[in-house]
Amino acid sequence: MSLLKDLFHHNGNGWWKIPKTSETDSNPKNEHPFGDFIQRGKNFLIWITSGKGHAGPVYYWSIAFILGAITLVEVWWFGVEELRYILVPSMLLFSIIKFALVVAFFMHLRFEHKLYSYIFIVCMVIGVFIFSLFLLLSAFHGLGTS
Amino acid sequence: MSSDNITVHHGEQINNSTGISNKKLLMWAFLGSDVMFFGTFIGTFMAYRNKSLNGPYPSDTLDIPITTVSTFVLLMSSLGIVLALHYLKQSKMGLAKFWLFAVIVMGLIFMGFQVYEFTHFAHIGMTPQVNLFGSTFFTLTSLHGAHVSLGILWLIFLLYNEFNGNLTSDNAFDLEIAGLYWHFVDIVWIVIFALLYLITAGDGVPEGGIPWDLPH
Repeated sequence: MSLLKDLFHHNGNGWWKIPKTSETDSNPKNEHPFGDFIQRGKNFLIWITSGKGHAGPVYYWSIAFILGAITLVEVWWFGVEELRYILVPSMLLFSIIKFALVVAFFMHLRFEHKLYSYIFIVCMVIGVFIFSLFLLLSAFHGLGTS
Repeated sequence: MSSDNITVHHGEQINNSTGISNKKLLMWAFLGSDVMFFGTFIGTFMAYRNKSLNGPYPSDTLDIPITTVSTFVLLMSSLGIVLALHYLKQSKMGLAKFWLFAVIVMGLIFMGFQVYEFTHFAHIGMTPQVNLFGSTFFTLTSLHGAHVSLGILWLIFLLYNEFNGNLTSDNAFDLEIAGLYWHFVDIVWIVIFALLYLITAGDGVPEGGIPWDLPH
């Protein structure tokens, strides 16, 4: 009961306080239904993308958690019949996000010399060009059946 | 440790005038070439999608729940290798060995799933020569499997060196290079899982095709 009381303590300002903030401050910062959750989320994103949390286990677990969550969303999306008509673009988008997360943070490309990024990106552009060329040839000329 | 032109950090030799490690540059160039390599095979698969006139078709064969598990295992192996590298750089050898071993086990589990999948496909009559789907599917997934197998051998070699005391914080760069390769294998599978499995799993008999009955 004590925990519930702490979580849902109300100071009369119209906002529930999670977590409980200073009693002396009549209008404390970040006081809203989710406490400072949103601010913490923003700080976490800045921490990840700036590389300040670079090379720590918590950082890597966080990335892995996001990757796992996206994979679960992909599979859920695949199972929903109503979402089938946007299956291809959505799966492409999800895989691009996962691809970028692994390359930027697990492979550290975001924190490396830019030459590595240039080499990889140029090769990716060529790869995607070849990929698209096959699809275009297939769409306009057909590549046969078997 | 450094000389006039080279700075060495965890075994990574960085040229002071360019700020670049030749070994790492070579690995990124190789990975870039592999992107093009897989790009052609994935492009071919997509171009021949829904062109098989006889079965089995993707809807008869692909098992998404099983592949989701193997995909998750491979994703987590990427986490394992960054943790192994992190602990190796910090000279926490016990944790470094544990995570490197875990990555090898996860790689073997992934390969086990692939062997199971291939065996199951062969059992229901889907082989590389049966139709366009079979040819393109087996070519792409077995090439990826070959990359994973090579990666596992590489990591076993590194783990052996770690136990012998030849892989320490001073030359953690060797594991970093192997890690780059392993992550690449992972990102290729991310694309394969989305394009070959999730997008095509619902593909059935195309126009002019012959329905396929699973062998009893």
